[in-house]
Amino acid sequence: MATVYKNLLSNDVANTRTLLHEAIPITGSIVSGTYGYAATAIGSERNIKTYGHGMFESVYDYPYLSSSANQIFDITTGYAATSGLSGSSNTQNAKKINIYNQMAQYLVGYDHTGSIKKFKMPDNNTEMLECYFVPFSRLLTKDEIKKGSFTFEVGVSGSAEAAAKKIFIQDGLLNYFGDRIKITDTSGSTGYHVDSPAGEYGVLYATQSLVSVPAPAGLMRANTALPVGLLYYQAGVMVLSASIFQRAGTPNTGLLNNTTFPDYSAANTADMPRVTIAGDTSTVGFEAASTGSTIGNLADGLRNRIYNISFNNTTELNSTIYFCRASHSDFNYSSNPTYLTGSQIRVKTRAADTPVAYFTSVGLYSADNELLAVAKLSEPLRKDPTNEVTLRVRLDY
Amino acid sequence: MGFLDNSGDIILDAVLTDTGRMRLARGDGSFKIVKFALGDDEINYELYNKVHASGSAYYDLEVLQTPVLEAFTDNAASMKSKLVSIPRNNLLYLPMLKLNEVYDVSTKRHTTGYFLVAVNTTTEDELEVDASGVSINGILMGESPGRGGNRIRVDQGLDTTAISPGRTLDPLLVETQYMVEMDNRLGHIVSKDDAIRAAISFVDDDSIATYNLVRRDNSDFVTEISSTAFSAQQAIAGPRGTKIAFKVQSSLELNTSDYLFDTIGTTEDITGKSGATSHKVISSNIRVTGVNTGYRIDIPVKFVKKA
Repeated sequence: MATVYKNLLSNDVANTRTLLHEAIPITGSIVSGTYGYAATAIGSERNIKTYGHGMFESVYDYPYLSSSANQIFDITTGYAATSGLSGSSNTQNAKKINIYNQMAQYLVGYDHTGSIKKFKMPDNNTEMLECYFVPFSRLLTKDEIKKGSFTFEVGVSGSAEAAAKKIFIQDGLLNYFGDRIKITDTSGSTGYHVDSPAGEYGVLYATQSLVSVPAPAGLMRANTALPVGLLYYQAGVMVLSASIFQRAGTPNTGLLNNTTFPDYSAANTADMPRVTIAGDTSTVGFEAASTGSTIGNLADGLRNRIYNISFNNTTELNSTIYFCRASHSDFNYSSNPTYLTGSQIRVKTRAADTPVAYFTSVGLYSADNELLAVAKLSEPLRKDPTNEVTLRVRLDY
Repeated sequence: MGFLDNSGDIILDAVLTDTGRMRLARGDGSFKIVKFALGDDEINYELYNKVHASGSAYYDLEVLQTPVLEAFTDNAASMKSKLVSIPRNNLLYLPMLKLNEVYDVSTKRHTTGYFLVAVNTTTEDELEVDASGVSINGILMGESPGRGGNRIRVDQGLDTTAISPGRTLDPLLVETQYMVEMDNRLGHIVSKDDAIRAAISFVDDDSIATYNLVRRDNSDFVTEISSTAFSAQQAIAGPRGTKIAFKVQSSLELNTSDYLFDTIGTTEDITGKSGATSHKVISSNIRVTGVNTGYRIDIPVKFVKKA
């Protein structure tokens, strides 16, 4: 009997899993600069969406009122109720605690008593009580951030302008990217951790990226990697210890507390938002900003210091491959109306001529003949009794 | 949809159809691929030049240069014509489907070139006969299919005078199963004699209902063409296979509401008992496909309602 379908046998179907990676570069000019200018107040840039509740701000790749804009990440900050910075008179004190607790319960989980655990550095169990949180959108991270691919580069030069605003921003007059640190998950590909309820995470390490002023030898000068945060790969959340900034009045505190940490900035301005500097006794710094500024202002501070973000995302493709095998005796005729002229096959002159047909598509059907998937060839293929064809149709899920 | 880049390696651009996605989302196991077919929708075999002066290597030159469009996700827009497997290589003729309008007046189309389905009794009364009381061809009684004998009939076989109809059609080429597709919002397929509704196999995401009618199980619809003589009543000139005949019952929605007429229809003057009067009209097609032989035809149908 003539037939237009051929059944797929068990050995014609194979399942595979492929990890697909895309490079995601986010330049600092998109995050702050492209859509902000002198007449635009910090935080009012057209690609920055703020909310009435003031608990985070969203960064878009384009003015967010445009339908073609995509949210790329959010920034928020918070501290634990047990943090030394916590205080009822602080600006948005409850919301900062709530943010910290929310992120902690989601990313760190609960202890055996049901209490929310704190963020900790797995290497030395140092608690991170004041943190920035940067959740990247699923559009960018897809299934997860590829381990070992993450780079977050921030400027650490400062300006006097920031002191008045109590935020870590620059007024544009000075180059606050003159000194930069690079935060990476360099060990992620080999040394990640799995004790989080939100999946795998790695430690973020800071190294010097650009130093403008020669400074005494020190950890950063020696390009020693210092742990400064955590990166949750599947959740796509960066947790950054606030200790990368100086803490006023109580120098040498925080994660980067290290007496050999270099004062690589000769100016050592009091309000300079930079990595902790040994002996710094300035009165304005992260401490003042964290207690006296809103979450939005703190987010603006970090955002305006972002020089570059890059990572590779990962998409897990589960594929089914259908091997459509047309043997020499299959599919040598066509039901195309132009194939016949008065029922006679157009491509034949005599009955003994070899039948020939050309195909441009492969249809995959259910048992009740419903077309479930279709594949198109980029050019017609000839089918006649002298050849056999195996078409490999891959459907990704 | 754009054309596929055919400048380099042959690539395969695969997508799930909308129906495939619908079944996948349903999660009831109905998304199960069990077979495949090859299609040649873009191929125009008239470009095959058997007498090319440069020799046989050039016969299919133009065919092979055919640009191919990207895959459509609409299941109804893809795989319209398929390649056929027949375990014989020495065939010179293939069977086709042909609308039989010569059997008698009951199988003819209306003068507009369509079959007109009168969706309610008022319209049936208006269009059954003309002002002279003569039956109008191509009017299908959509509210009461048992009324009148008009029907749609499609014959299958080798439509050539080169082979006598007295010869038996090779069993390999006899169609035993037909697939009829029509818009389920507009109507249903019913048998020609006692107006039995055919069972719907499935309705896709575009409301296209598919009826699979097998000769063995649906003898009300599919029967063998017994005539082996040259006959003016036969649409197929050569050896004949089977035929499918049916009527169309209009949907309850068309019968009781003007919504679809106002949304996807137009208004036309159609001549009936009262002369030319205004009717609401929806144009559509009923597609009949031979499941085994792959040949298919689209039958033009209009659903009409006296305005």
